[in-house]
Amino acid sequence: MNEQIIWIVLKRLRTPFLVIIVTFAISILGLVLIQGTDNNGNPYQMTFFDAFYFVTYMASTIGFGEAPYTFNYEQRMWVSFAIYFTVIGWFYGIGAIVSLVQDEALKKALSRNSFRNYVKHINKPFYIILGYNSITKSIIDRLNGRDYRVVVLDKDEEKIDELVLENFYPNVPAFIGDATNQKMLKIAGIHQKNCVGIISLFEDDMVNSKIATISKLLNKKIDIIVKATSQQQLEHFKSMDLKHVKNPFDIISKRIYYGITAPHIWLLEMWMYGHILKLKKRDHFPQGKYIIYGNGRMGKAIKEGLDKAGVEYVIKDFDSQKYIEEKNTTIFGDDDDMKALLQLGVKESACIIAATQNDLLNLTILNKAKQLNPNIFTMARENELDDLNIFQASKINKIYIVEKILADATYNYIARPLADLFIQKLRKKDDEWAEIIVHMLNNITGMNPMYFETQLNNENAYALTLQLQEGEKITLADLRRSRADRNELLHVVFLLLKRGDEVYLMPDSRMKLEIDDELLIVSDEENYDDFEYIVNNIYELEYVLGYTNS
Amino acid sequence: MNMHKIMSGSFFILAMTVNFGFFYGDPTVLSEHSSYELFAAIIVNLIATVLKLGDRTQLGAVLLATSIVADIQLIASATVWAFATYVMSSVGTEAITAIISLSGGALLANIVSVILFIGDTLKSKR
Repeated sequence: MNEQIIWIVLKRLRTPFLVIIVTFAISILGLVLIQGTDNNGNPYQMTFFDAFYFVTYMASTIGFGEAPYTFNYEQRMWVSFAIYFTVIGWFYGIGAIVSLVQDEALKKALSRNSFRNYVKHINKPFYIILGYNSITKSIIDRLNGRDYRVVVLDKDEEKIDELVLENFYPNVPAFIGDATNQKMLKIAGIHQKNCVGIISLFEDDMVNSKIATISKLLNKKIDIIVKATSQQQLEHFKSMDLKHVKNPFDIISKRIYYGITAPHIWLLEMWMYGHILKLKKRDHFPQGKYIIYGNGRMGKAIKEGLDKAGVEYVIKDFDSQKYIEEKNTTIFGDDDDMKALLQLGVKESACIIAATQNDLLNLTILNKAKQLNPNIFTMARENELDDLNIFQASKINKIYIVEKILADATYNYIARPLADLFIQKLRKKDDEWAEIIVHMLNNITGMNPMYFETQLNNENAYALTLQLQEGEKITLADLRRSRADRNELLHVVFLLLKRGDEVYLMPDSRMKLEIDDELLIVSDEENYDDFEYIVNNIYELEYVLGYTNS
Repeated sequence: MNMHKIMSGSFFILAMTVNFGFFYGDPTVLSEHSSYELFAAIIVNLIATVLKLGDRTQLGAVLLATSIVADIQLIASATVWAFATYVMSSVGTEAITAIISLSGGALLANIVSVILFIGDTLKSKR
């Protein structure tokens, strides 16, 4: 697109060029025609070269003096006219160039050009993120730099400015552009080999659907991660063969279902998202009747979860916008509201869930319910991340932040594929199995272990691949020995092993390793460091395997 | 019919005709070639070049190229003349033939340009 800039510049410079040429030509011609006087008083005619030389330094206001001889009055009259004539032409030309530099169209073309070049020179795999907001920001924060780079498109110039001020490192190239415009997607590098995927989490399902369709057509190979909040959209995306559809409400529905029926499965899943690996008292979902306030997308999702879990509930239609318009307040709790709450049976219920679209209403609903029944378990939907502090201060038992759930799920899918896989496999198991796993993890690795993902290849496990290439038989149990004393065990647990398309949940410790196996390892930082030492250092590995005695 | 077309068309053709006017005559006798005509040829050619700027079509690019060639040839011709006059202090036959043949080259480029221009005009069916 360099071409385009040149054309813009040339077209704009046409008039200034013409002005300069014409003014110069007239001044030169005049000087040549007017008769001069040389030092001896003889008449002489200036040549074109003399005139050209003089006009050149006169017009550019350099002014070396009168040459080749001092001018006579006829010449000076012409020159005094020519000075104003050419200098004005010259300044006009310079002015045009300066205004060209400030030209919006040119600026846009230049910044688009530099954006395109920047994207072209990214050599790591990268994701294109469409739309910059609190969700995508938290994804960028975690994703950018380590294994991936990020490119951002947003329609809104303010959003892009905001992103620039954020000073991400490494730099996140961003550009103003409509994400549904395929030209913009191309500039953002959708055709590039190292473009791994596109993330579209817009509020509007239609926009997401449009983007998914365009991206699919432009590049079949990339991962398309889209948000869908309705069943229809979900099915539409599935028919398009998109595997990575994120529905935050579906995630909430599943969490409630598992929270009630299988708390340890719930715990393991939540631990993957940063919860500690221990069921606290307030984590237990209560037994009894549930009240759902709000019958929107969130309310329906909760309903689905409760239905599946076989829990008794009542659901109350509640349109937050209508409520605000009618009562002109965002504080819930006049007499009618209290009556409604009592009618729903707050006093006998075990749990109330406020799932409306207004954060303040959600808070006040739960407050009033608590007044009527101090023992009731409260859950709230939080729509905006900014309100987190108020929610935390008001002692609500569980808070569902739609934005955060979406960001976490997307991040896990991209950066921690094994954890994502583990959660999927886990859901097919029963609670007893999960309880055993939790106890085992607690015993070996403590209450708040971390998890790591690694692939056994040349890069991550140099020594191990070397040994495996030589045909050594190495089992998972071998890797669990301490490098300080091989009879001691490291505090690590291998949670999942992925070999090609096969996935082994809690792999047998006698299982023989192969190159390119992927492992999900639970441990703490110190023990994981030891593990990395062992698989990378030949001497450590030989000791652990028992080849040497030192 | 538009003003810009007339302007640029007339300058393209003027560039060729003025160039021819300078070129025409005995190539060894300088007095048959007016320096004013060379000056006019250079100026008109420069203007024609600027008028051709900013046309993004394929034809526009070729037109611009012919014009740039003509400019280079004519300016070279004038430079040789100035150099011979002031530095060599006499304009010999060799210098004269160089001046004239350089402008002859420019004339060829201008002819190509005008042919292309007319061809394009004939091609458009309006």
